[in-house]
Amino acid sequence: MSETTEPAAPVPGGEVDPALLEILVCPVTKGPLRYDRARGELVSEQAGLAYPIRDGIPIMLPDEARRLDG
Amino acid sequence: MAGSPALHREPYARTALDADAVRDAYRRWARVYDDVFGGVSAAGRNRAVAAANALPGRRVLEVGVGTGLALPRYAPEKRVVGIDLSRDMLARAQERVRTERLRNVVGLVEMDAERMAFADASFDIAVAMFTATVVPDARRLFAEMRRVVRPGGDLLFVNHFRAEKGMRWWAERTLAPLSRVLGWHPDFAITDLLDDPRAAAEITECPPFGLFTLVRVPNLAVA
Repeated sequence: MSETTEPAAPVPGGEVDPALLEILVCPVTKGPLRYDRARGELVSEQAGLAYPIRDGIPIMLPDEARRLDG
Repeated sequence: MAGSPALHREPYARTALDADAVRDAYRRWARVYDDVFGGVSAAGRNRAVAAANALPGRRVLEVGVGTGLALPRYAPEKRVVGIDLSRDMLARAQERVRTERLRNVVGLVEMDAERMAFADASFDIAVAMFTATVVPDARRLFAEMRRVVRPGGDLLFVNHFRAEKGMRWWAERTLAPLSRVLGWHPDFAITDLLDDPRAAAEITECPPFGLFTLVRVPNLAVA
């Protein structure tokens, strides 16, 4: 079994257009986001928040974000 | 003259309308929205999208995309991103994008229009249809739209901006206390959005009966 994601495997959170990922920033810091493809999250290291993607729709609300530990 | 009629009432404060109330209202309305509101607002929406299609630049942001009623009307070369605070509405919009195969819709995002998650100057055009009257602070919405649109781009608004006098003024004043239930501010004035309405490049009354107004504001570079 390969550890990397199979090309045909469904992406957690659903597919997001790279052109959209390019312009999204953290709504709190307006800083950059890291796309965690495996978890289907957009991570703002500065804010310590991970914004979920559900059914291909990023949820860019601080209240809905997962708080990063540490 | 003593005993003059009490015509000079205090202008009452705008009904507070927070994001939760907006979301709740739209959750209740999501199922019937297209039937009830779709037909009524079609003229204003068509005008706004036609205006967007006629403008230069391909990158379009639709603020308050709702169920995506306007999405099929964008020109194929326009690359559209839609945002809304209502998850239920966005799910319907997503369904529409899939079933109608709208390849020019880059994506849909759940976000607060007053606190957008877009980098500066990400778009050429931002369109807000029937949205400026439902957000708690229209000026913050306006400021965010200005930020995410490149200098030299365009901002478009369609709304039932308050008429200054007459029957509509009376009707909208009367309906204002219902805004929390209905999810919009009937007593929204165009001056809430623009410090100087004359700064708008175009103000067009839309049929039927001039109920809707299309406003185009050039996104001038800050001096």
